[in-house]
Order: sequence, then C-alpha cells, then structure tokens
Amino acid sequence: MRGQIYRKLAVTNLKNNRKTYVPYILTAVLTVMMFYMMDALSRTEGLGTETMEVVLAYGRGVIVVFAVIFLFYTNSFLIKRRKREIGVYHILGMGKRHIAKMLLTETLITAVAGIGGGLLLGIAFGKLLYLAFLKLLQAHTSLKFEVSVPAVTDAVLLFLAIFLLTLCYNLLQIRLANPVELLRGSSQGEKEPKTKVLLAIAGFALLGTGYGIAVVTESPLEAISSFFLAVICVILGTYALFVAGSIAVLKILKKKKSYYYQAKHFTTVSGMIYRMKQNAVGLANICILSTMVLVMVSTTLSLYAGMDDILRYRFPREYGVRLLMTSPELETMTEDVIREETAGHSVTIDPDTELSYHQGSAAGILGTDGFDLKTETDYTISALREIYLIPVADYNSMEGKNVSLEPDEVLAYSTGEDWKKDTMRIGSKEYQVAGTIDGLKVEPKNRSRVTDAYYLILSDEQEIESILKEAWEGSDMAEEWIEQQSSVEYVHFFDLEGKEADCTAAEQAITDRLVSQVPGIQCESRQQSRDSFYDLYGAMFFIGIYLGVLFLIAAVLIIYYKQISEGYDDKERFQIMQKVGMDQREVRRTIRSQVLTVFFLPLAMAVLHVAVAFQVIKKLMVTLNFTNTPLYLLCTVICIAVFAVFYAIVYAITAREYYKIVR
Amino acid sequence: MSSKSMEGHFSFFYNRRRKQNIEERTGKQMTLLEVQNVKKIYTTRFGGNQVEALRNVNFSVEQREYVAIMGESGSGKTTLLNILAALDRPTGGKVYLKGRDLSGVKEREMAAFRRQNLGFVFQDFNLLDTFSIEDNILLPLVLSGRKYKEMEKRLTPVVEKLRIADILQKYPYEVSGGQKQRAAVARALITRPQLILADEPTGALDSRAADALLQLFEEINRDGQTILMVTHSVKAASTAKRVLFIKDGEVFHQLYRGNLTNEQMYQKISDTLTVLTTGGDAR
Repeated sequence: MRGQIYRKLAVTNLKNNRKTYVPYILTAVLTVMMFYMMDALSRTEGLGTETMEVVLAYGRGVIVVFAVIFLFYTNSFLIKRRKREIGVYHILGMGKRHIAKMLLTETLITAVAGIGGGLLLGIAFGKLLYLAFLKLLQAHTSLKFEVSVPAVTDAVLLFLAIFLLTLCYNLLQIRLANPVELLRGSSQGEKEPKTKVLLAIAGFALLGTGYGIAVVTESPLEAISSFFLAVICVILGTYALFVAGSIAVLKILKKKKSYYYQAKHFTTVSGMIYRMKQNAVGLANICILSTMVLVMVSTTLSLYAGMDDILRYRFPREYGVRLLMTSPELETMTEDVIREETAGHSVTIDPDTELSYHQGSAAGILGTDGFDLKTETDYTISALREIYLIPVADYNSMEGKNVSLEPDEVLAYSTGEDWKKDTMRIGSKEYQVAGTIDGLKVEPKNRSRVTDAYYLILSDEQEIESILKEAWEGSDMAEEWIEQQSSVEYVHFFDLEGKEADCTAAEQAITDRLVSQVPGIQCESRQQSRDSFYDLYGAMFFIGIYLGVLFLIAAVLIIYYKQISEGYDDKERFQIMQKVGMDQREVRRTIRSQVLTVFFLPLAMAVLHVAVAFQVIKKLMVTLNFTNTPLYLLCTVICIAVFAVFYAIVYAITAREYYKIVR
Repeated sequence: MSSKSMEGHFSFFYNRRRKQNIEERTGKQMTLLEVQNVKKIYTTRFGGNQVEALRNVNFSVEQREYVAIMGESGSGKTTLLNILAALDRPTGGKVYLKGRDLSGVKEREMAAFRRQNLGFVFQDFNLLDTFSIEDNILLPLVLSGRKYKEMEKRLTPVVEKLRIADILQKYPYEVSGGQKQRAAVARALITRPQLILADEPTGALDSRAADALLQLFEEINRDGQTILMVTHSVKAASTAKRVLFIKDGEVFHQLYRGNLTNEQMYQKISDTLTVLTTGGDAR
C-alpha cells in the first residue's frame, strides 16, 4: 500500500465521520486560536504592570491545561465510536501497522487543519482582542500589535504535542484490542447499573457539607480558608450525586410499582437509568464547567462594574498623605507643600472631609478583658482586630469635642461590636474605659471589613508610643522596620474642590514634591490609583470572560457529543417501541422529557451551586475592597440569564441533530 | 423467469378459493382478516424507478386459523406483513381486520389500534435491553394505560403457559434465544390480540429452540389464537394449518393441512416448493 492510499482512506474516513469530526476540528481551531491570542497578548512588550502579566500568564496556563484535557477527552470519545469501523478494516485484511499509518494520516490532517485554522483566526482576531483588552483596562496607550512569532511557535509545538498524545492513545487502543472486540465496538449489551448506596449517601453528605460551610461562614477571613474546602466538597459531591445519586433515585421510583407502571413514567424512568449510567460524568462535567463560568464571569464583572465603589471604599478621601516616624518639622514641611500646591492650582481643600491626626497602629487578639498585642497581622485568626491609637487632642480637634483623659484612661470606638466592660487591657497595661464612642469621622460604623477595627483614644502620644514599644519588643524583624512601625505616624486626608483637571494636577504636584522632599512619606490618590485598579480588575475581568468563553465551548461540545451518541443508542430502542405499539407522538414525548431532564439538570444544579457560592464570595470580595452586594447580585443574575439563554439555544440545535438521528 | 405462465398451473385453485372467501365474508362472521387486491409499488430514491413489491394479493384468514406465508427473499413477504401490521400502507387494494378497513384507521389512532388488535413476534425478538423480561412483556399493557393489578393478573397465566415464569426478573441479554422469543410471544399474547403476526419467528433460533417455539404456536392456536406467520422455513410452515405461497408479489398457491401430520405436511410443502422453483426454471 502506498502513501496515496492512506491519504485517500484518511480523507474518506474523516468525511464519513464528519458529524463528529467537524466539531472536533472546530474545537481544535478555537482552542488554538484562544491559546495563540492569549500567548501573543502576554508577550506584547510594554503592555503594563507586573500584576497584569501575572494575570495573563495565569490565563494562559489554564488554557494549556484545558486544551490538553479537553482535546484528549474529545478524541477518546471519537475513537470509541470508530472502533467498529476500524475492526472492519482489520478483518478486511489491513494489518495493525497499516491502520496505524491510516490513523497517523488522519491525525496529521486534523492537526494541520486545527492548528492552521486556529493560527489564521488568531492572527486575524488578535488585534481586535488586543484593542478590547486595552479598552477594558481603560488604557490610552497605543501599542502596535503584530504577528507574534514566538507565540506561533508556542502554539504549533503545544498542539502538535497534544495531537501526538491523542494519536498515541488511539494506537494503544487499537493495539490492545483484538478484531472481534473492535467489531463489537460500542454496542455491547449493557447491564443495568447497580445502585451504589454508599456513594450516593457520600454525595449527599459532601454536597451538604460544602453548602453548610458556605452558608455558615461568617467572616471574610474564615471564608478564604473555608471556601477552598467547600469547593472541593461540592465538586466531589456533584460527581457522586450525578453518578450514584441519580441512579438511586430512579431505582426508588422504579420500585414504586403504581408509579413506575404508567405509560408516562415507564419508558422514561428505565431510559433515564441507562442515560445516567452513560452520561453521569459528562453531566457532572457540564455542571462544574457551568458553575465555573458563572462564578468567574459574575465576580469579575462585578469587580469591574463596581470599580468606583471599590475605589471609594479603598480610598474614602480623594487624597491622603501618611508620614511615618513623624516630627513637627516634617509635618510643617508637608503642610507647606500641600498649602502651596493647592493654592498654586487654584483648588481648595474641602473642610468637611478633611482629617488630620496622629496615630499608632497595631494588631491585637481580642480577649474577654482586652487585647494581646501582635506584630504580624495574621488574618486567619478570627479574633484578630486592627487597633488604631489616637491622642485625645487630635480627637477633640477632628470631632469638635473637649474631652480630657488621664494617662490610664481610654475612649473606645469599634467598627463592629461595642466594648462593654469598664476596663480594657492593652498588652500588659490595664486602662479604665472613660467611655465608648458611637461614631468617628475617620471611619463609619458597621462598614464591611475584612476584620473589625478598634479606634482607641488615649491621653497623649507618649502613652501611644509606650504601647507600640511593648508590642514590638523582642521582635526579630529588621531594626529600621521596628523603629518605623513602633512610632506614631501623621496622616492627613482630604477631598479637593475645583476643576477636575486642576485637582488632578494639584495631586500630581503634591505627590511629586513630597516624595522628593520629605523622607518617609507615603502619598495616595484615588485618581492616581484608578489606573492600577483598572489594570488588575480589568485584566481579571478579561481573563474571566476569556476563560468563560472557553469553558462554554467545552460545555457545548460535551453536550453535542452526548446528544449524538445517545441518538445512535436510542434509535434502535425507539424503533422497537414503535413496533410494539407506541405511536410517534408518545415516542416524541418520551424523548422530549428525557432529553430535557438530562439537559437542564446540570444547569439547575449549577445555578444552585452559584446561589450558595454567592454567600461566600460576597464575603470574600470584601478582601478585594468590593462591598456592593446588590451589584454583585445583579451581575450574577444577568450572567445566569445570559448563560441560560445560550444554553437553551445550544439545546435547541443539538436536540434537532438528535431527533434527526432517532427518526 | 415467466411467472405469468406459472400461474396457469395453480390458478384454478386460487380462483375457487377466492370465491369461497367472498361468500364467507358476506355470509358468516368467521373471517378475521381479508386482503383484497393489495398492491405495493416502491419508487426508488434515485432515478425514480418503480419497483412492484406486491402485484395483486388476495387471501383471507378465518378466526382460530394458523396460516403460514412462504416465499423466497424478495418475494414480497415482508412488505405484505408490514401492510397487514399497518406499519405500511398499500398502493392499492384493501385490508380488513374484522371487517374494519385498515386504511380508515386514522394515523393518530393507529398505534392504539395495533396495540389492541395485533400482537407481533419478530425474528430478532425486538426486546428492549433496558427492561427486564417482565417489563418487556408488560410494555404494551403499560402503554395502554392498564392498572398494575390487572397486569399482574394477566401476566401469570401467560408466563406459565410459555414456561418463562422463572426468568421474569432477568434481562434480555442474560437469557437464551429461545427464552427471548418466548418472552416476545408473551408480550404479543398479553394484550389478547385478534391476530398474532409472526415474522420469521424461528429465524434466529437453534433447531431445538425452534421446535419448542413451533410447538408453542400450535398449542396457542389450539387454545383459539389466530396466527399469521411469515417464514421461509419449511419446518416452521409445516406446523401451520394452511400455507400460502407468494412469488413475485402474488399469492401463487396454497396448501391445506387437512388431516396430514407435520411430517406429511413438510413433505408436501417441500414438493410444492420444488415444483415452484424448478418449474420456473424449466420453462
């Protein structure tokens, strides 16, 4: 046999199996395209910050893992369907070597079509993607985007390797099987699945645990550690439930004779048992993928859409300076710069928003009588509280009060639970609580926070310094760091009033001068930080949508193949039923209810997952400065709605293919 | 091969029999199935060639009869059976079941009509692998919306008669071919149909299982069940009370058992078949 023949055979085979191979090649094309674009994007020089590069690299990593798993999965499905065909070739006298050559040619054709098509599309749409990316980041840089040679090389090498892997798998399958097995292929008499009671119970238990953790978790800090556990529980639970739980439920229905022996339920229940046996894993995959798409897109969308809220949460005032290791001279220098530059740019400081005070900051473990001081802020400890120490003079001037405190007295303000006792221990010293405060300009009460904070008003700066000294005593950190952390800092926050361009210019001028003139100063501007926030959250949103699309393609393809393979299996079954006296309408009704159930079960489950995950993610997002729950809810609902519509369209298309086969 | 001239040999039988049928249909109410001038023409998909599968078929089946229809592959047996089963519609002619014209049954009622009046036994059993033997047998009753109590009541005598009571909980892939076919017969019987249509019921069975099944058919027939069987097995046909021969889309000849034993009947059928085939060749 000559090469010519293999090529002809391979082409004919691909043509004959076009119903399954066209989607396969299409998937390959899309995956290559997605990979190439992401790779090229992350290789574009001068794109921006490091965070963005990390996010893009992460996205690329996920695409690689996904591409390997997914193309491999699809291929194994295809080769399973073709065993019979290959068996016939074998019996007609083709040796395994010849079959291997034929498969090699087929893989080559598929690979060339997939990689070539993917690269062409990737190069064509790369520019568009690049522009969209910049738009999302609200960046105004106009970098050139060209065909990236290293990205092309990457894509070719990666996908050739994947295709080679699938070929090896196929050859192994052929090698392991004898012709009779090959001939029998996929149509072996299937046994009714056994009920795996333990697995079903485990599934319920795991899902219950996962949900329980998600619902019970109170603080954002607990949420971080428990979220991961909950996700694992829910994923395992989902698989177990789809595999064993579904069959257990159906078997129970089957045992109820008066229910089972009704025309409506009879064929549906027994048919579903087999469907679940064959498709449970596929359905669980769809469910998990859908959940991932929904969670990813809804959270990143919320972060992106809620950017202004996030900025306002993170920066309550438009501009602020923080003078570490303050001294009266440095303070005067700072205030001079601020005064000069605001006047020079004809803007004024809004007195209602202005805050200037001294403070010492520490962390403490909340006990019944007071706080144990800590130097590290370990947020996984749920009793950890942020502690801010403010001298009473600053308190009086900010709040317009006239309070005087003795050195062993304290005024307490908490952003969360109130301090109820008469005394408060801070480190080793016991203070008398002179009173509690209901509100402070510095921070309003009951704002969502990672952990609650205590603002403690003390008699003077010496008192504050002595507490800080105690906290940092014996720390093995660098000397300078300890000195910096254990001294009082001066902060000054304010909003500016004036023309927007003037405000921006004033902020920039203040920052420039202070950073160069005043040692140990930190400046932060909401306006100036906006860019870096858009960099990060824009890139995350971008990756969210990008991966969302990829997972969606995967879900669609799994659904498509599921429908086709079921179509072939069901065809015979429904023909027999018609011969025995079931009419077309009944057949159609039965098919419909089975297909609908199988189709929308994963979606319903995914929505349930998302609803529960919502509870945890809502809390998690506080650590990302996002507290706008209604917005998050809206984003989630929109995502689910869009997804459901898309899902329904996919259903309509694939169901039509299915009916075509069955009829 | 000239079949027209073959017809000459047997036409006198045939005409006399037809007259008799018509008399019976108008006179006594004993006729169950009446086939009149049935014709079926297929148009091939490409080129539009017309193929005449059935030219002009006439015969009738009385109640409690056991009729076998014989013919070679391509003689039109299967087409005829499909028309009798109302799975296919004739191009011309009429089929009456208990005096009711099948072409008058609406498409929507057809499935129910088939379920109530006809029982089917197929060569390849057509049992569903997803159902246990019991559920396979009950399937037509479930589709008719019967109560489970009634199903149970009907099930017991049928499965005892067919000697499959012990495999009810098994699945089709777990039992032998003979058992599968008996399950299929049970499925056909359980609706108490007017007529059982069997299409090569012994075709996929070994000789012992085939003999057992044919014996069962005889027993069922003795109990009063009308059976119409299509086969090309002489052995199978020799158990029938009457054998019709189809060739080139027409009923060519028929044999009555009378008082003959199965063996004698077998001989007679063989002889007829020999005449049919070699007679054609000789010409």
